Amino acid sequence: MFKKIFIAIITASVILAGCIGEENYENSYKGNFEALWKIVDERYCFFDIAEKEFGLDWNDIYDKYSPIADTCKNEAELFDVLGDMLGELRDGHVNLTSMYGTSFYWDWQLDYPINFSDSIQRNYLGKDFRITNGIKYTALEDSIGYAYYGSFSGGLSINNLSMMLLNLKETKGLIIDVRNNGGGLITTAEALASAFTDKKIHCGYMQHKTGPGHNDFSEPEKIYLKPSEGVIWLRPVVVLTNRGVYSAANHFVMLMKELPNVLILGDTTGGGSGMPMSSTLPNGWSIRLSACPTLDAQGNCTEFGIEPDLHVDISSHDWNNGRDTMIEAAKTIILEYYEKKEGQ
Amino acid sequence: MRKFRTIIALLSLLIPVMTKAQFAISDTIRTERIVVKSAQFGVSLQNNLDTYLSDYKYTGGGIHFSHESFRDARTGNYRWKYQILFNSRAGFNMQEGNIQLAGIVGCSWSGYHPFKIGKRLQLLAGAQIQLEGGALYNLSNGNNPVAAKLRTAIAASGMAIYRFPVFKSDWIARYQLDIPLAGVMFAPEFGQSYYEMSLGHIGGIVSFAYPLNNPSWRHMLSLDIPLHVKHHSTTLRLSYIADLYQSNINHIRCHMYHHAITFGFVRTIFKIKRENLLKAYSPY
Repeated sequence: MFKKIFIAIITASVILAGCIGEENYENSYKGNFEALWKIVDERYCFFDIAEKEFGLDWNDIYDKYSPIADTCKNEAELFDVLGDMLGELRDGHVNLTSMYGTSFYWDWQLDYPINFSDSIQRNYLGKDFRITNGIKYTALEDSIGYAYYGSFSGGLSINNLSMMLLNLKETKGLIIDVRNNGGGLITTAEALASAFTDKKIHCGYMQHKTGPGHNDFSEPEKIYLKPSEGVIWLRPVVVLTNRGVYSAANHFVMLMKELPNVLILGDTTGGGSGMPMSSTLPNGWSIRLSACPTLDAQGNCTEFGIEPDLHVDISSHDWNNGRDTMIEAAKTIILEYYEKKEGQ
Repeated sequence: MRKFRTIIALLSLLIPVMTKAQFAISDTIRTERIVVKSAQFGVSLQNNLDTYLSDYKYTGGGIHFSHESFRDARTGNYRWKYQILFNSRAGFNMQEGNIQLAGIVGCSWSGYHPFKIGKRLQLLAGAQIQLEGGALYNLSNGNNPVAAKLRTAIAASGMAIYRFPVFKSDWIARYQLDIPLAGVMFAPEFGQSYYEMSLGHIGGIVSFAYPLNNPSWRHMLSLDIPLHVKHHSTTLRLSYIADLYQSNINHIRCHMYHHAITFGFVRTIFKIKRENLLKAYSPY
C-alpha cells in the first residue's frame, strides 16, 4: 500500500516536471530578431494608437525586417537593424541597449521647435538663484517666482520643496518651467504636483496589459493627486512646456492640468505616457518598451503629447534679443490675474 | 550519583543514534519527547526564469542555509512525528552578462504518521504547510527590476528513513518529498507594474495555486554519519536538496530550480519531565 503511494508520488513529480513551457530562442541573429519582435508584439501597449495615428502594422514590420536581419554580417549591424525596427513604433520609451549603444527615437522632439535656451534662461535666473533637489529658482522682476526643474531623475524632498515655496512666499505667482525635462521618477513628478492642491483630485487613469494580445488590457483605474504634507501653494501657477517634456514630466503636466489655479503654457509636450518595462534578448541585450498606458482625466491617451492651455512659441525676435517669450507671457498672465482681481 | 552523571553527560552530547540512546535512558526515566535538530550550510546551483523580468534563464550559484527540527511525540494512541524546516537561499545568476540576484526564505510545518517496514526502513506520510517569500532582482531592468515572491500552500509530504550499519555505527539515509497541492500566491498580472500596485490597484494580484499552474516539489536526500572522537560522538549530515519551483499564472512563467549540497551537524535532545527525573533520581 505504502509502496504504491510512494511510487505514485514519484510518478506524479516526474510527470509534473517541465510543465511550465519555456521558449528557447537561438542566440543567433535570426533568433534575437525573432525574440525582440515577439517581446514587443506581446508587451508593447500602444499598437492600437500607433495604427490609428500612422498606420503601424507590427506584422508588416516583421516581414520588412526579417529578411534584413537574416543578412546581417556582424552584431553591430544587427543592432542597427533592430534599432531601426523599434524606431517604427515612433516611441521614445522604446530603446534597445547593448555594448554598441542605445537606440533612440528622437523625432518626437527633433521635428519641432526647440522653444528653450539655457543661455536665455540665464538672463532670468541671474546669479543669485538657489538650487534645491535640482530645482533652480529665483524671484523675477514684478515679484513673480520662477522655478526650473530640468529632470525628475532624482527624488524630491517635501521639506526642501516646502522651503523653496516659503522662500518665494512674497511673490504673486509661480512659473514652473519643465521644458526639456525628459522625465525620470514618476513619484518625483507627483511629489511636485501635490504641492499645488489642497484637495484630492482625480487626474487620470492607468492600465496595464493582462495578456500577450494587442488589446489585452485591464480596466482603467483612476489616478488621484493627493495634497502634499508640506507647504501648499494655491496662488497662480503657470507651467512652461515644450516638446522636450517627456515621460514623467509629461505625467506632471497631465496632473497639473487638472488643477484650477494652474495654466499650461508653451508647446505641446513630447508625450511618452506609457510606463516602460524592460526585458532581455537571448544575447543579453536589454529592451525597454512602453507597457502601461496612462490616460488623462477625460480618458484620452497622452502618448503623443498634451496640448497646452495657451500655445506660445519663443519668437525669433525674442530669441535674438535674449528674451524668453514663454516666461514673459507667463509673467503677463500672472500680473493680469491680479489686475483683474483688484478690478473686481 | 555516577549514573546521574552519565545521564547528564548523555543529554549534553550529540548522540549519533537516537533509538539506542533512547533505550539507554528509558530503562529508568520515561523520555517525553526526542527532538533532532540540525543546521546545514551549503552551496547551490540555480536556474531561474521569471518572464516578468526576462524571457530567459539566469543561471549561477548561491548559498543555502537550512535548519530542521524533527521531533517525535505521542498524540493520543499514535506516535507522530513533526518537522519544522527553515530554508533560505541567496543566489547570483547571469544571462549573457546580465545579472539577476535571488533571495528566498521559506518555512514549512509538517506532521507525519510513521509506518515501520521491517527493522530498518520507516516510511512517513503526512501533510505540510509551506510559507515562502523572497524576490528576484534583475540589475538590467529599469521600472521592473523586481519580481516579488510570496506564497503559502498545503502540501503532501512523504519521507523514507533507512537505517543501516557501517563500521559498527548506524548510518541513516533519508529521502523526503514535498509536493504543494493547493495554496495562494502573489502573482501580478502580465504587465502590471509595482508602481501601479503602490497606487492601490491591487485587484487580482493574489492567485489560487494548484499543481496545474504551480507544479512544484522539493526533494531532500540526506545521510547521517555518526562520528566518534575519544569519548565524544556527534553526527555529520550531508544533504542534497532539490527545490524545484514552477508557476505559470497570468501569462507569467516562472521557475526557480535550486540544487544544493549542504553539510551540518545533528543534535539530538531528549526532553524529560522534571518530575520524572526527580522521581527516578531523588536522594530521598
